Amino acid sequence: MAKFEAGMEAMADMYVFETTTLLEQLDQILMKTESDSSFGEEEINEIFRTMHTIKGSSAMMGLDNMSKLAHAVEDMFYIIREDHPVINSMETLYDLVFTASDLMKAEIELLQEDEYAPTDFSDQMAKIEDFAAVLKNGERSAVQQPAAPAPKTSAKPSLSGTAVKVFFEENCKMENLRALLVINRIRDLCSALEYTPSDIEDNSDTADIIIKNGFDIVFAPAQGQTDNSVIDAIKDCPNVKSCELSGNKQAASAADDGDSTAVRIYFEDDCKMENLRALLVVNRVRDVCEVVSYEPADIEDNADTAKYIIENGFILRFRSDKPDMVLRVIEDAPSVKEYEVISAAPDNKNENVPEQDKKTSGTAQTAAPARQAAPAAAAPKKESRPAPAAGKAPSGGAKQSLISVNLNKLDTLLDLVGEIVITEAMVTSNPDLKGLRLDNFQKSARQLRKLNSELQDTVMSIRMVPLSGAFSKMTRIVRDMKVKLGKDVDLVFEGEETEVDKSVIDQLNDPLMHMVRNSMDHGIEENAEDRINAGKPAKGKITLSAYNASGEVIIVVADDGQGIDPEKVLAKAEKNGILTKPASEYSEKEIFNMIMLPGFSTNEQVTEYSGRGVGMDVVRKNIEKIGGTVSVDSKFGKGTSFIIKIPLSLSIVDGMEVSVGGSIFTIPINSIRESFKAKPEQLVKDTDGKEMIMIRGECFPLIRLYDIYDLEPNTDDLYDGIVILAEGDGKCACLFADELIGEQQVVVKPFSPLLNKYNVKQNGMAGCSILGDGSITIILDVNNIISDF
Amino acid sequence: MENSEPANKNYAADDSEVLFFSIDGTIYGIEIKYVNEIIGIEQITVVPKIPEHIKGVINIRGKVVPVISVRKRFGIEEIPYDDRTCIIVLEFEDGEQVGIIVDRVREVIVVSRSEISKTPDAKSVNSNHYIKSIVNLESGVRLLLDCEKLVRDN
Repeated sequence: MAKFEAGMEAMADMYVFETTTLLEQLDQILMKTESDSSFGEEEINEIFRTMHTIKGSSAMMGLDNMSKLAHAVEDMFYIIREDHPVINSMETLYDLVFTASDLMKAEIELLQEDEYAPTDFSDQMAKIEDFAAVLKNGERSAVQQPAAPAPKTSAKPSLSGTAVKVFFEENCKMENLRALLVINRIRDLCSALEYTPSDIEDNSDTADIIIKNGFDIVFAPAQGQTDNSVIDAIKDCPNVKSCELSGNKQAASAADDGDSTAVRIYFEDDCKMENLRALLVVNRVRDVCEVVSYEPADIEDNADTAKYIIENGFILRFRSDKPDMVLRVIEDAPSVKEYEVISAAPDNKNENVPEQDKKTSGTAQTAAPARQAAPAAAAPKKESRPAPAAGKAPSGGAKQSLISVNLNKLDTLLDLVGEIVITEAMVTSNPDLKGLRLDNFQKSARQLRKLNSELQDTVMSIRMVPLSGAFSKMTRIVRDMKVKLGKDVDLVFEGEETEVDKSVIDQLNDPLMHMVRNSMDHGIEENAEDRINAGKPAKGKITLSAYNASGEVIIVVADDGQGIDPEKVLAKAEKNGILTKPASEYSEKEIFNMIMLPGFSTNEQVTEYSGRGVGMDVVRKNIEKIGGTVSVDSKFGKGTSFIIKIPLSLSIVDGMEVSVGGSIFTIPINSIRESFKAKPEQLVKDTDGKEMIMIRGECFPLIRLYDIYDLEPNTDDLYDGIVILAEGDGKCACLFADELIGEQQVVVKPFSPLLNKYNVKQNGMAGCSILGDGSITIILDVNNIISDF
Repeated sequence: MENSEPANKNYAADDSEVLFFSIDGTIYGIEIKYVNEIIGIEQITVVPKIPEHIKGVINIRGKVVPVISVRKRFGIEEIPYDDRTCIIVLEFEDGEQVGIIVDRVREVIVVSRSEISKTPDAKSVNSNHYIKSIVNLESGVRLLLDCEKLVRDN
């Protein structure tokens, strides 16, 4: 199923990446402002810009629902930015924006699936629009107070206003209601507003008139607005085909064009869809300046404009007091090959003094003195303009030092490095070299090995991502739950700069979320009084910390809540029938870890967040999937910690090779405790004939690898082969193999899907790897072997 | 994707190339679009605890590829590998590679659509399950195997 128009798929990746990043930034801004409990000018602008960009790029991708939702949020912040209304209910505002952001994120997720159907956001949009309306009304009552409007009206007596004629798209139907929508949208941007036909709300016959004659609006822009911004707002309304100046202000508008900078942009050869690329440029530039016009104008709808752009370039007129910044944005836009400044503003400066004056009075809010100062202030600024106009030299210097790379490419790179590691072993331990004395060769080989390991380290480090991203997502969860559960909790990060492999981090989000939810829901006490009575501060605390320890990353989710009651857990486990030995024999550690068994939940009531008994089980599964382990530590009454240990990287492990018959198995070094030859006095047999090995007074079960894997061993004599004491999942066992071959770094290759179907992982095989001589070794998963055999 | 597909279909509509190989004296064919390469028998690493017809994995230029014995799959007794034994490496649309062990590879023949007919629905025919269609060639009637089923069915 085609989600996008032909050719758009290529841009879809970029869109998903960009929008996700923007939404994450949005969340961070919101979170910050919420904890500061105030919106700064800068933050509002930032949110506004973010939404604007999302709106633009979504529209370009043809995702109307996304674009409209973003538009609704943008509108709301527009009101906040322009009118500074008194916001009575900050909570509602945050909830609205957070929900919108969530919806959009979910939509982006959906977009990446094969079957995609746009979600209907109209509910959320209605809520946002309602709230925006409340804001507006609140603002209006604020305006009633004398201060603001008085100088405004005196500064701008031209209440006769600007006349525009609006046409709607053909066959869009109900033109009168659409006209009403336009009026409602711009009502707050204008200080005075008249329109014909005027009875659009009640008289559906006006639709025909509008089709025939267009819809006439006469308006005077409100404080802080220009004619153009109102016209832009009209153009942004749904189904509006065109909006033209029809009356007295046409000349002024032309003059507006005069003080703008015009740029001709050329795109890279063969980049295709030049019209949409041009639109992208326009959208980007909109964030930093006022776009006056562009040519061709119908790039959005008319694909033929692409040809025109190829031949004649794309002309963009904009107005900004920092044109060099705008030019840089243009240059950084994708596929832009080159651009030239056709006409810079200063040329028109003198002829347009009255216009200048008017413009500054529109934006500066003070009256007379500011008006005189404004042109003077504007003048020195403008002197800097000729520089970018002369050429693009100044913008060429600042290049980004970061690039975003497709993860697939990094995976391929890592694979290649793996191949090189294998090939190096193939060359340096080539059987042809046996018995030869090759001093120089050995020297070069050593050099090669050194370089290879450096290469390997570098590639690994490229893939490393700090945990801060995964951590900061938790802020959001804590925030939401704080509101819902009425618990006051601080979330503290420690060591969030610790880095792990990208593939690990992707698998880490869900488990972290479950654990944080768990701590919020079960860990922290219901009532603040309980906490105070227990001698703890009223405000709960959840700590997320991370640090490196011996090739592993350790992540701890700790809360200072009520802790786990071992008695309760044990009783519950007994009830659920998951005990395997008498209750009195369980150690505290074992009891705590029971909460991660499938189908276990101590919470009597299932809440929205946890208590279904799947959470901790899923956590354990997910962590184990990436080769890590989870354990629980708790002090009843003091708090609970979940400790996650994950390997730094998944792909290259140090392994010990052992042979069993003709097969070679690799046991990861970090799960081996020791290896030895067994002696007869160490062997113990229980009544079932199960063999055990006694080491320094401790008994460990013996697992014969040939036995569990139905292989033909070279020796089944326990005292002839080798015994490896391996540890996994907190338990130890002795593995019996024919022979120890040696230690080597191996590159983990996953089994093909065909084999995965047969549960090779559950049978203790983690993957395979290719040895120096080209043969394949199977990497054992000690955890699974010990727990299953 | 959308552009390349019709082209493929056109190709399949008229002629398609079929690789023929023999198992226990019977000749079977598979569509060439699945065939990545043909290699001699290699050292196969046994993977424990998997169905018998999957003999294990081999190393093809750094890729670990599982191999299936077609004899075992058809329930025919296995014979020792000789220098005519081949592994045909198949590659599926999702990129997964799987090798199949055959007694010997015969030839590649261009087969036109008119020469292909559907299999009768008789369940009694041995290993009918894996057969996709029947090819009527001048040299005789040949069976065309369904690669997906041959490899992926349980």
